[in-house]
Amino acid sequence: MDTTVSEKILAMIGVEKVRRYEVTQKDIKRFAQAIGETNPIHFDVDYAKSSGYNTVVAPPLFCQMFTFEDVPLEQLPSDGSPIEIDVPIPAQKTVGGGSSYEIFQLVKAGDLITVKSTLKDLFTKEGKSGLLYFVVVETAFSNQHNEPVARETATYIKRV
Amino acid sequence: MKGDKPVWEKISMTTRIPELVVSPDHRQVFMFSAATWNRHHIHYSKDAAIREGLPDVVVQRGLIGNFLGRLLTDWVGERGELRKLAWKVTRSAIPGKNIVCRARIKEKFDSEDEKYLICEVTASNEKDEPIASGEAMVVFTNNHGAS
Repeated sequence: MDTTVSEKILAMIGVEKVRRYEVTQKDIKRFAQAIGETNPIHFDVDYAKSSGYNTVVAPPLFCQMFTFEDVPLEQLPSDGSPIEIDVPIPAQKTVGGGSSYEIFQLVKAGDLITVKSTLKDLFTKEGKSGLLYFVVVETAFSNQHNEPVARETATYIKRV
Repeated sequence: MKGDKPVWEKISMTTRIPELVVSPDHRQVFMFSAATWNRHHIHYSKDAAIREGLPDVVVQRGLIGNFLGRLLTDWVGERGELRKLAWKVTRSAIPGKNIVCRARIKEKFDSEDEKYLICEVTASNEKDEPIASGEAMVVFTNNHGAS
């Protein structure tokens, strides 16, 4: 990497982006369907109430629904990969990654979720087929009562 | 909710957690991309995926995480909650193939009001090659755990 690129990346690290979403019953039902979850607690209000909740509750990793910012298509990189990992590195191919996801409380229909996304780190390692770039993004989710609901630290691995 | 739910007092390091076998197809990968607004072309364009050196469209890391989560929430039911899940994807998973998710209890401990299990989790493909591995924390709550 030349110096200019490094400086650009340094300036991006630690910058927090904030956005808010209201959670609907529809969001929870569709997320549950997408992950193959059939527990009625996610789509049947009466069943959720009989289980001690006021309304339907979301599966534990539900906030993944809000991890990627819904920017207009023209702002995304040409491969459509998330804007969160759009950093000026000479590597665009995805080769895996990891995630650490903490759940502080289950999201419920009607919650207003604040999403705070930060590029935490970028580092390289020598891999079997060349240099690998690790892009680390932290996303924190809180509700309308200012209570944390979840936090995810995701590591994306890219190669040239 | 399937099967008998685990009782905290009876859980030991040798307690077997039933495996979860899933077979995500192209539709499910599409639905998960739609739900999470993931527009990365490796999840919908086979040509683009192949150009990136992948065998086909790949199953999202996030969806694999949800399978590992379901493995544990299916088992504990309403007696407990998934509190933490950390996983790494080490091999691409492609649609139309079985993924077998397994968990093994690693630690069991109490605090004043909650009961914790730490589990190792893995996901393998139909050749029993590892796709993902990691660790989860499950909490048994006293509210639900006593009955």
